[in-house]
Amino acid sequence: MSEVGKRESFTIPIGPQHPALKEPEHFLISVDGEIVTDAVVRLGYAHRGIEKAVESRTWVQSLYMLERICGICSHIHAMAYCLGVEQLAGVEVPPRAQAIRVLVAELERIHSHLLWFGVSAHEAGFDTLFMYTWRDREKVMDLLEGFSGNRVNYSVNVLGGVKFDIDDAQAIAIREAVSFLEERTHHYLDVVTKDTMFLQRTRGIGVMTRSQAEVLGTVGPTARASNVYREIRVEAPYAAYDKYPVKIILDNRGDLEARFVVRLTELFESYRIILEILETLPDGDLTTRIPRRIKAGETVSRVEAPRGELFYFIKSNGSDTPERIRARTPTICNMMSVMKLLVGHQLADVPMILAGIDPCFSCNDRMVALNRGRNKEQLLTWEALRQYGIDYYKRRSD
Amino acid sequence: MGSTTIKDVLISLTALLIFPGGLFLLLVSLAYEWVDRKLLARMQNRVGPRWFQPMADTIKLLAKEEIVPDAVDASLFIGLPIVALAGVLTAAIYMPFPGLPPIGSFPGDLIVTVFLLSLVTICLGLAGANTLDRFSLVGATRTLTQLFAYEAPFLLALLGPAFVARSWEISEIISYTDGRWLLITQPFGFIVAVIGLIGKLEIPPLDAPEAETEIVAGALTEYSGRGLALFRLAKGVALVLGLTLIAAFYLGGVATPLLFLVKTLALLLVIVGIHALFTRLRIDQTVGLWWKYGTLLVLVQWLGIIIWQGVMI
Amino acid sequence: MKTEEALSIARQLVEEWEFKTKTERPEPNRLDVALTTVDDLIPIVVGLRVTRLGYLAAITGLDLGPDEGDLEILYHFCTAAAVITLRIRVPRQDASVPSLTEIIPSAEAFERELREMFGVEVIGLRNKMRLYLPDDLPEDIFPMRKDVSDQEISQAVTLQEI
Repeated sequence: MSEVGKRESFTIPIGPQHPALKEPEHFLISVDGEIVTDAVVRLGYAHRGIEKAVESRTWVQSLYMLERICGICSHIHAMAYCLGVEQLAGVEVPPRAQAIRVLVAELERIHSHLLWFGVSAHEAGFDTLFMYTWRDREKVMDLLEGFSGNRVNYSVNVLGGVKFDIDDAQAIAIREAVSFLEERTHHYLDVVTKDTMFLQRTRGIGVMTRSQAEVLGTVGPTARASNVYREIRVEAPYAAYDKYPVKIILDNRGDLEARFVVRLTELFESYRIILEILETLPDGDLTTRIPRRIKAGETVSRVEAPRGELFYFIKSNGSDTPERIRARTPTICNMMSVMKLLVGHQLADVPMILAGIDPCFSCNDRMVALNRGRNKEQLLTWEALRQYGIDYYKRRSD
Repeated sequence: MGSTTIKDVLISLTALLIFPGGLFLLLVSLAYEWVDRKLLARMQNRVGPRWFQPMADTIKLLAKEEIVPDAVDASLFIGLPIVALAGVLTAAIYMPFPGLPPIGSFPGDLIVTVFLLSLVTICLGLAGANTLDRFSLVGATRTLTQLFAYEAPFLLALLGPAFVARSWEISEIISYTDGRWLLITQPFGFIVAVIGLIGKLEIPPLDAPEAETEIVAGALTEYSGRGLALFRLAKGVALVLGLTLIAAFYLGGVATPLLFLVKTLALLLVIVGIHALFTRLRIDQTVGLWWKYGTLLVLVQWLGIIIWQGVMI
Repeated sequence: MKTEEALSIARQLVEEWEFKTKTERPEPNRLDVALTTVDDLIPIVVGLRVTRLGYLAAITGLDLGPDEGDLEILYHFCTAAAVITLRIRVPRQDASVPSLTEIIPSAEAFERELREMFGVEVIGLRNKMRLYLPDDLPEDIFPMRKDVSDQEISQAVTLQEI
């Protein structure tokens, strides 16, 4: 083709609208033939200004706001925030509530990992696996729905505890689902480690060495697949993780296959913890009282989201609204590493490598202001907006 | 043959446009597309479309506006899908299509048929290269790369039966293969032919040219409305004809419509199974597969045939 | 590396060397190091990196408000449960800090964010493209500053021709 002959930079845009990405993000991939020579990312298409918005909301309102940073890992955001605020307020949360928080966090991890697994299989063009994993994922979704009434944004946390209790019927349902999923996960682990065609797309692709992973600041399963010892549940146990210790899963290969293996093996840990919590769920209250105004101070709350370390910095000025909340999501750390990894790979591997870090773009884009759509409504009435639209197209067609 | 009557012309026109070619072939191809989609859906634990879905899709696309992008050669853009569909429909003339003897035939029509089937791919490649869209360009490059990869082994695989039948005329080959399962004597040729068909039609796992997660719809990214419908139809017809050809050559012939139905559908089941079971190959892996294994297998096959023929004589 | 060990190494590093810093332990797992001059930032970060405490978890910008007249920039380094925070105060007008990207490449995203949200000039940052904010937002609006209201941001992004 001419573009190869001229050796000019030939760029392929992936996103903001692209079938490979179900979320809006813009990658500009420069290629020479099929080989990637440069990759640039532009974030911000899902910006909702949450960090700014919480500064004008109360502590309780902020909880619901922050829970909506991400649709997949909503619980972990709310949990990180609650743990931080409780720490600031000096409130002791009942052990039963902490255990239920962990239980839901692990259920969420299962559904998030299965979701990612299906999406990655789809990126590789293995749609059958995609369909099967998503079918199995429905088991967890059903559990979460039966438990909280919602498939996503379950809103389990409140400041000072949790909203929902686990009864015996639910415990039985969870046990059944977990044993089913455990069997399926064994099967999937078999597929990703033994299916020759699948291995052709994962083994030795997107290799990140340990020192690279450390320098590039990766977190979560992406880092652990490169043998970086970074797992908040182990290093700094929060909520009830000190009572239910987690085994860290490491892999030293650092390629896509390792990322598959690490995530799937982590699922077994999640299953084990869930069953353990069901066995030994402590009795007691679900919530404790928490003051409306939180004592002035600062705290850092770190939790292990399905995608890696989630970092919250919370500052209170003693009033009923937060002074500053900083949410650093795992994807932003991993995203920068991926941009460097892509160079030198085939174009066909780009979606796989991107998916390999389990990117969550909504998480990425949590920050400041400017959902244009919504802000417009503040400025214009609905009618005016409609009129604007009509006029706009009239002008265009003239 | 100066005594061509109006009746002859009418019969020929009917054969070309209505039955067994033309309209009937299009309907059959839509039905096969439905079988393909439904089987795949069931294998993937989905419900799948209802029987009229492919037809509804086609009618809808035909009714929609065809957007011709700026900076393309408009006549080429509109013409290519028509050429592609016309090519495959013409190929049907020399095929034992619904289990009936071919309408037309002349020595060497096998080569013409294979060429007409390749015309779809070439049109696809040209259509992609004709636009300025970056996905289309990459898709076109891959389409043509893949064409060069599978075409030679595919042709060699089809020439295997021709060689033992000692004719390059489809009607003679099928009269030879009728009742003889060349699948047993030429297994490699059969495998290469089936995978070649998968590559030709860009069915997963050999769908790198239109890998949606990388390059959207590949060469067809800019196509909409009628152009897209015609390309889809052309591919559907090529699928049916490819199945017919392989079933006729390797699976003991398709002497009656019933045999045709059973054998081609069995073959389709195999192709759908491969589709469901495997991960998409990268384009370099595809090319490697063909030149490393495909060609080699067929050549081994040929060697076997030649030695066998020598022994027989 | 255990949490306590990490904290004591970091404390040694900043206290025994010739840095003008003030350290405190607001929480058992945290060490806050308040830097008095911006010049100390790079040497301390190098020191942390050398002692294998250099995992930069985040950079947080804080606006202390127009009355105070300062911005505070927090560099959070995490090891096990330990969080070592380097704090720098810079004036709101003409705020600038050196870039860490030469030492820690992953700081790029955080620094770009800091730059566009708080208006802190990051000296030595190569890629100064916007990361999150829309291109048509005026360059002099820094949304995370306390004196910028939601209304102001909305109005800045007026309905524009596509």
